[in-house]
Amino acid sequence: MPDRFEERELVERAKLDPDAFGALYDRYFPQIYRFAYSRVRDQSLAEDVTSEVFFKALKNIKRYTYSGHPFSSWLYQITLNAVADHYRGAAAKEVELEEGASLPSSEPTVVDEVVRRDRSRRVWSAIDQLPKHQRAAMVLKFGEDRKIEEIAQILGKSSGAVKLLLHRGVERLRRELPPEFELGTP
Amino acid sequence: MDDRELDELFTDPAHHEVVDLLKASRPATPPLDPNFRLHLRAQLMAEARKTLTPRASRSWFPFNLTPSVLAPAMAAVAAGFIVVLGIEIYLANRPTGSPVAVVSPINNKTNVATAEPIEIKFSGPVDKAAVEETVQIEPATSVTKQWVGNTLVIVPNHPLAPNTTYTVTLKPKAAAASANPGNPTSTPKPAVAPTPVVVHFTTVRAPAPPVVPPSFRSAGVTYGFDSRLADSGKILAATWTPAGQLLVTRPGGLPGPATLPSQSPTATAFGSAPTTDVWLMSPIGTPVRLVAPGGNFPAAAPSGGLFSVWRQLQGNQATLEVRDLQGNLVSTVATVDGVPDRPAVWIGPDRLAYVDQGVLRLVGLHSPVVAATLKVDHDGSLAASPNGQFLAVQSTTGSVVLDLTPSTTRRLPDGATGFAWSSKGDLAFTIQRDKGTDLYVVADGKTSRIASGPSGQAWSDLNWAPDAASLLFAARPTEGINTMSVLMLVNRDGSNPIRFGPEREYSAPQWSPSGDLVLFTRRDEAGGNAFWTATSAPSGNDAAEQEALAEVEKFMQARIHGDTSTAQDALDDAGRAAYQAGASSLFSPAGTQFNRYYPVTVQLTGSNPNKFLVGVRIFIAKSGVETSFFEEQLSLTLQAQRYLVDGVKASDTMALGHGPTVVSVQILQAPPGQQVRVRFDADLKPDSVSGDTIQVKDASGQLMAARVSFDPDKHLAIVNVRLRPGTYQLVVTRGVTDINGAPLAQEYSAPLVISR
Repeated sequence: MPDRFEERELVERAKLDPDAFGALYDRYFPQIYRFAYSRVRDQSLAEDVTSEVFFKALKNIKRYTYSGHPFSSWLYQITLNAVADHYRGAAAKEVELEEGASLPSSEPTVVDEVVRRDRSRRVWSAIDQLPKHQRAAMVLKFGEDRKIEEIAQILGKSSGAVKLLLHRGVERLRRELPPEFELGTP
Repeated sequence: MDDRELDELFTDPAHHEVVDLLKASRPATPPLDPNFRLHLRAQLMAEARKTLTPRASRSWFPFNLTPSVLAPAMAAVAAGFIVVLGIEIYLANRPTGSPVAVVSPINNKTNVATAEPIEIKFSGPVDKAAVEETVQIEPATSVTKQWVGNTLVIVPNHPLAPNTTYTVTLKPKAAAASANPGNPTSTPKPAVAPTPVVVHFTTVRAPAPPVVPPSFRSAGVTYGFDSRLADSGKILAATWTPAGQLLVTRPGGLPGPATLPSQSPTATAFGSAPTTDVWLMSPIGTPVRLVAPGGNFPAAAPSGGLFSVWRQLQGNQATLEVRDLQGNLVSTVATVDGVPDRPAVWIGPDRLAYVDQGVLRLVGLHSPVVAATLKVDHDGSLAASPNGQFLAVQSTTGSVVLDLTPSTTRRLPDGATGFAWSSKGDLAFTIQRDKGTDLYVVADGKTSRIASGPSGQAWSDLNWAPDAASLLFAARPTEGINTMSVLMLVNRDGSNPIRFGPEREYSAPQWSPSGDLVLFTRRDEAGGNAFWTATSAPSGNDAAEQEALAEVEKFMQARIHGDTSTAQDALDDAGRAAYQAGASSLFSPAGTQFNRYYPVTVQLTGSNPNKFLVGVRIFIAKSGVETSFFEEQLSLTLQAQRYLVDGVKASDTMALGHGPTVVSVQILQAPPGQQVRVRFDADLKPDSVSGDTIQVKDASGQLMAARVSFDPDKHLAIVNVRLRPGTYQLVVTRGVTDINGAPLAQEYSAPLVISR
């Protein structure tokens, strides 16, 4: 992780210095693109969202104030908003499951892959099927190594609510993955 | 990952299994068009230049807090830059008569990475041959030019020098080309600019040079942040070159920089059989050039800009080729039956070891090599010492070290494997026991077990830090359901073992030659190994050097910004007297400004109290353009828990842009003597770098015996000397010339202090 103080200094410079903003872009592009893709599962859409995130960040960076969280938390927030805007704008609906609903048995994403994919791939495929807030929390925690407090800030929820999302996500993976999925064995 | 958070949250063992699995794997790497990232960056930077106010002051910036920390970190960040040089060129003779302007002006860019291609974008059609002819780069740099549409991609043949301002010039043609009067159907050719277009950019600031004598710099380094070499598509294997670039094996047929059409990866070199290509890449994974179509298992030579690579032939045969880093075939040194399954091993700069049907073979680039027949264990370890004298071999009859000079053999303990030689010639290896792994180091002829792993854990993938002070290795559980390997760092004497990086699936660490990055693999979601690099930062072991350099940073920034009180505060009475007596100028002369500086060398000249001699290069600008530089040798002494400048000597001022210059000097202990490494900013004529042009003199001016070699890939002259403690003078004469024949801008001299 970048040093927090150094990051803060870089962000302050980026309010005035295009090169510093470019450095921020270089640093955060991979994770923002990765996170965007995890939400939209489409390369073209992920590119659109990522573009929007960084242009919004550029437009608003002078108003950014350090709140004790990493700068990336702000970018993740913009990403979530951009994804939501996209689905609103496109009149499309993100595939969403209600809390407590089963993973769809007709979907090939889990069951079929049990046969042909390794356990790691299966568990991440299963994450794709979680409700969106659970999915976001799981991706940020296990894919992006964010702290619970940061995730709470990104999602606009309390730390307790994030813990509940993570707990439910893990429990659901444990419960819903098929019997052939023997955790802990290669 | 913060395990405490997860441990607190998940107490049910059933949950632990899911959590452990998630921790040990990564989500799928999303597909990414590398051009998208570059394109978006260019758009953003154009917008940023329109909307962000140019930096007027740094008044918010507390001098005493971050600069020394910021510089290397910014350099690492800047490694992600692709240089897009915006220029304005007006085509005077276009058929329409209207000028065609250009694109994204990004002149005066700083922190430019040294190993990235340079792109010059034109907004309309140009006479490509004419433009190519007029491109000049100063300091002299040999490049390859390629076109992608209206974008000229300039690929330096060697990495650029750090801390250096480069000037790219497009000179005008005498007259615009006109239509051929003999052919009325021909169209007039666009022409290049009527006035020269000049673009400046400055490369990244290099990390501070290591203190001399070297301290335990790598011991206890800390893991910085990591980034994945993912943008360039799938990577099958990667290894560092001595210049800090990567030789990367990729599936055949993948595109290169800016999807250059002129590159010809050979997915079908051998009929329809799947194959691989070997590419030279930057440390962040940007393809620089295809260097071995159809190649596999590359191995970089320790010097000379060469690498070996296997190429499969039809008929179940393979050849071992030696190529240069431009991709030119230098020699085919061997042909074997079957499919090689490992890279050859360089033994010094001109010999190679390889395994043919299980038998060890040696071959020389220039002459045959005779070696005893030795069968190598299946998957057995094979490694050569950096000086080319020793070869460690895990043979079918036991592990041995072959001394190739007198051709003798030394047996290693039974089970010795995983050989790794340090830059100082120490050999590390492991022996797997029933109850864990033992780690050994052979130094000065003595074999010592320096550490033992716990029961149920296997150690492998040994890799020395460049300073030979510590080792990285992978530790993998051999029992239980969790087989996730982590990286460990241990000092060469076995002390202070720590985990390097988060608790994740890591293996195969490889320090970069400069020690600021570690290349490693991490288990991917798809079950394969993805390649990552992590930054590393020195620990408190270099505290003295860091403190001294922090004072220099504060002092220099104060001078650059005209902060008299802060600058004076960094001086003791002797230092103030030296500046007042005219030893150097504390501030820039009227009409000029100190624009930037960087440390050229750091030498520890005393330890009680600590005294450092820090050489700094200071650049002088007129009207915002750097025109000259000079160097100061600052003497710093620890006084009342703070380093103060107590002396200064200044060089003459040297004009920029009139020939190559020295950019750094490092002194390394190389028992029984020392090695002085002199780095230049330009590509040099190799035969101009010799003992005649680079000299070491004692205090009386007596020339000291020295052996000088030159590595053109790093613009690096290496001077091997055997000096007793004392003060000497390094002299680089104007006999050193660049590839265009321009002599060194000015004779260069710098003190060398040998303190022990």
